[in-house]
Amino acid sequence: MNWVRIRKDSIVVNGDVLSTENTGQAMLKEVYKKHIGGYPKFFKMDALCKLGLIASELLLQLESPRVTDTEQRAVILFNRASSLSDDRNYQATIQDAGNFFPSPAVFVYTLPNIVTGEISIRNKYYGETLFVVLDHFNAQEMFNVVREAFLDPMTSDVITGWVDCENKDDFEACMFLASAVDQDFTPEFINEIYNK
Amino acid sequence: MDNLQDILKQQIIDALNLEEIETADIDNDAPLFGEGLGLDSIDALELIVLLERNYGIKIKDPAVGKEIFKSVNVLADYVSKNRTK
Repeated sequence: MNWVRIRKDSIVVNGDVLSTENTGQAMLKEVYKKHIGGYPKFFKMDALCKLGLIASELLLQLESPRVTDTEQRAVILFNRASSLSDDRNYQATIQDAGNFFPSPAVFVYTLPNIVTGEISIRNKYYGETLFVVLDHFNAQEMFNVVREAFLDPMTSDVITGWVDCENKDDFEACMFLASAVDQDFTPEFINEIYNK
Repeated sequence: MDNLQDILKQQIIDALNLEEIETADIDNDAPLFGEGLGLDSIDALELIVLLERNYGIKIKDPAVGKEIFKSVNVLADYVSKNRTK
């Protein structure tokens, strides 16, 4: 099963370290420019969506042929900080009554599940999307939710994992592409990759 | 006027995070929406906020917004005639 592990200063894809010169948000931008590109909407996204998009792109680049335009793939993600990073940015635009200019472009990202939508839009996925906010990383809970998703016969595989963004330079992600028949997608496997 | 057009283009690029676009890439007579820059409805709202924040211009009539965003030249002309700061 393919997987991606991103920390604020490192990226590992299926066990191989992706060489980067930067950390934090600059690292994500570097990876976008070097390995993805061609999707200017990336620059408009909040930090959580940028993180989720980079993780999903690195994950899906391993898939051959890359699956698009399908109802059979779900996107189910988890984190702890919800959309707090962007919430703070939005609050900054309305904090000062004398400088009160609420930003529509910031406001639209003040929900964590926007990242599942961004990944689905990018890949033309029409399956289930779900974003669950947990009080801490919990592989068993994540596994349970994904297994429930597979009870729907329409769902054959799931992009899933932990995509957490405290602020634009403090984040982590751990993402998998799990199919309904994968026997190695277990809570132990999720923990193993998360702890790499 | 030329200076205001360049200022507006840079402000649009900054406000809309058009990171891969430079001021020289934006034709002063080209439509801001519908082609070229790939702007969407959220971008339109952000530009309305930009006009209020930077120039004290409040756009309340959607028809006006549709008109003034036809091009950088049209926008610059409107700003120069209606700005309060």
